Amino acid sequence: MAVIRVDGLAGGYAPGTDAIADVAFALEPGTIAAVLGPNGGGKTTLFRALLGELPLRRGTVELAARPAYVPQTDRTRHDFPVSALDVVLMGAYARTPAWRRVARADRDAAKATLDRVGLADRARRHFGSLSGGQRQRVLIARALLQDSGVILLDEPLSGVDATSAARIEELFAQLRAEGRVLLVATHDVEQARRWDQVICLHGRQIAFGAPATTLTTDVLGRTYGDELVILPGGERAIAVEHHAH
Amino acid sequence: MLDWLLDPFSDSLMQRALLEVIVVAVACGPIGVWVLLYRQSYAAESISHAMLPGLVVASLAGASLVLGATAGVLVAALAIALAGRDERLGGDVGVAVAISALFGLGALLALSPAVPARLGELLFGDLLGVTARDVIEAAVLAAIVTVALVLAHRRLALSAFDRVAAPSLGARPGRWELALLALLAICTVAAVRGMGNLLAVALILAPAAAALNLAARLPVALGLAAVLGALAGVLGLLASYHWHVAAGAAVALAAIALFGVTLLLPRRDTLA
Amino acid sequence: MPLDAPFIQRALVEALLLAGLAGVLGSWIVLRRFAFFTHGVGTAAFPGLVVAVPAGVAPQLTGLAAALLYAGGVEWLGRTRRVATDAATGLALVAALAIGVILASDVFESPASVDRLLFGSLIGLSDRDLWLTAAVLAAALILDLGLRRAWLAEGFDPGTARALGIRAALADPLLLLAIVLACVVALDAVGALLVTAVLVIPAATVRLVAPSVATLQLGTAALTAVEGVAGLWFAYELNIGPGPAIAVLGGAVFAVVAVVTRWR
Repeated sequence: MAVIRVDGLAGGYAPGTDAIADVAFALEPGTIAAVLGPNGGGKTTLFRALLGELPLRRGTVELAARPAYVPQTDRTRHDFPVSALDVVLMGAYARTPAWRRVARADRDAAKATLDRVGLADRARRHFGSLSGGQRQRVLIARALLQDSGVILLDEPLSGVDATSAARIEELFAQLRAEGRVLLVATHDVEQARRWDQVICLHGRQIAFGAPATTLTTDVLGRTYGDELVILPGGERAIAVEHHAH
Repeated sequence: MLDWLLDPFSDSLMQRALLEVIVVAVACGPIGVWVLLYRQSYAAESISHAMLPGLVVASLAGASLVLGATAGVLVAALAIALAGRDERLGGDVGVAVAISALFGLGALLALSPAVPARLGELLFGDLLGVTARDVIEAAVLAAIVTVALVLAHRRLALSAFDRVAAPSLGARPGRWELALLALLAICTVAAVRGMGNLLAVALILAPAAAALNLAARLPVALGLAAVLGALAGVLGLLASYHWHVAAGAAVALAAIALFGVTLLLPRRDTLA
Repeated sequence: MPLDAPFIQRALVEALLLAGLAGVLGSWIVLRRFAFFTHGVGTAAFPGLVVAVPAGVAPQLTGLAAALLYAGGVEWLGRTRRVATDAATGLALVAALAIGVILASDVFESPASVDRLLFGSLIGLSDRDLWLTAAVLAAALILDLGLRRAWLAEGFDPGTARALGIRAALADPLLLLAIVLACVVALDAVGALLVTAVLVIPAATVRLVAPSVATLQLGTAALTAVEGVAGLWFAYELNIGPGPAIAVLGGAVFAVVAVVTRWR
């Protein structure tokens, strides 16, 4: 039974123009799906639609659970007076009524989750003083604390050091084994090949399916347009990675 | 030494002033922390400047200053929102126009009548002239603000810390930014009687800036801001009594001096 | 308004000189978004004005010193990175006001004198004040002539204008200095708290309709002159300082123009 089912989804910001259209896919429990596409191609827009922040113009979205979301780390305020543990605890805020303290069980779970991403010893450290990779792991821990069956991750590995990246990929495998669904927006086509499903977006959905059959040169070409570099041999291609300004 | 500290507060006038300033500081401190975290210092200043016409009209009509302040704040917020929205001018130009025009209107209303309003007190406060009723009004407003901040704490933190992910974590940022501005307005109304509309912002920004320089965690910063604000109130009133200087101004400078002291301490990784 | 009275004549001349300044610099204040800076400089001069009286010094001088202290203070606070710029500005301004209030209660007997410093006065202008204003106007015109292209380029695309050379590196600091000087000479006419009434509001109004920098500057000069003179009359009739009168007049005109041009 699919955890996410999307059919004919279209939505946008400016009246008359769709930012994304023709999006259709279904993901079973225990799946990691890559979302590929150029900057401005609709990856973040798709996430916003799945989170319910973007009104749908056409199509349907069925979600078994309210997704947890890991945005790109650069968007958090590094000068905020919060420790790593404080940030993880934010994952429990939605289920804590305004007049109550965060439950003991949630506090313990937060510590356990931090341990899971390998940062138990950094729990009391100021969030902004952590490295980029460590901050990313804390934000993932925060999403884990929400304990949702669906997790959306926006470029979780870009600009992250090798140690953190390895831990994060290990964590993905564990989460998949737990039966969760991960949607990972990424620029790394090679990484996408290692996962279960791939969704290619360039405004419109170009393709959806298992990487082996879906990531043909033609599909990649239509997804990335000019941003594609085909390596000699014609079999492998890499997408040019941009950094948002 | 003890006499120096306690003598000033032996009469009811100074006791009321002390109560007023502490009550106001307890609300303004935490609000100030949120104002700094949301980077809304200009809003804090703008609201307090532009509310002047409301204060003047209330003063001339003999009506409650809180009423006038509230009306003034509403008009100011409306004007600032309208002017700031105009894309033809830059961000702060429209707002600056609205503030200056409203402030000028207040001054005009205050200075022109045959029996002018006591403009100096409206601008710089009348801490030593507060009545028991003023203190009660301020206490009620401060209580409202404090309770609201406690209930809204987590939502405010989410919206300020991570605007992008906040909706997925349970808080819509736009709504909470507005809520903060509303609470800021209420806080300003509470502070205006004692500090005046030009100096009130000192009790909002300075203790909070000091607290953020000292505290590593948000709840500590919020509490510390209230404490430092109250301390500034005490120091300011002592200075006012012993050195015969204007009370509101003394409190404002005491708060800023406390902030100055925190600059001398080694840097934390937090920015006010 | 008795047009033959010398104090009225001086006030009118000052209004016209300030209109020129508003035309030249006010346009840049609005284009480059230095409105809050302008307000801050004027306000920060207040304690300087207070001490000018007992010191027997020209208020422009002490006002300038206070304004420069304020600008330096904000810059330094920003450098410490312990507080954001907008908070630093707010703190520095309220400090200046509080210091001014405390000094004023020592210096002045009546609150009316403080009102004059805050909101301006019709009667206090001397010939020296007029000459100083004229000098600043002349300096502003010269700077505008030489630096307007740099000012425009920097506003359009900050940072890359540096490629234009040394002139660009000095251009913005000189603009800010010119604004400081303009505020300082405007202080006695409109007061420390309302320099924006003359230097910002009319320029913002014309900006709503002016298609080019040149028309903005000429239009602003004209509008400021009209509002200045009308404001003076208004202030005379009400027996208040010119600052509030000009601010209210300017605000009303701005509101009308803003609404009318929206509907086009």
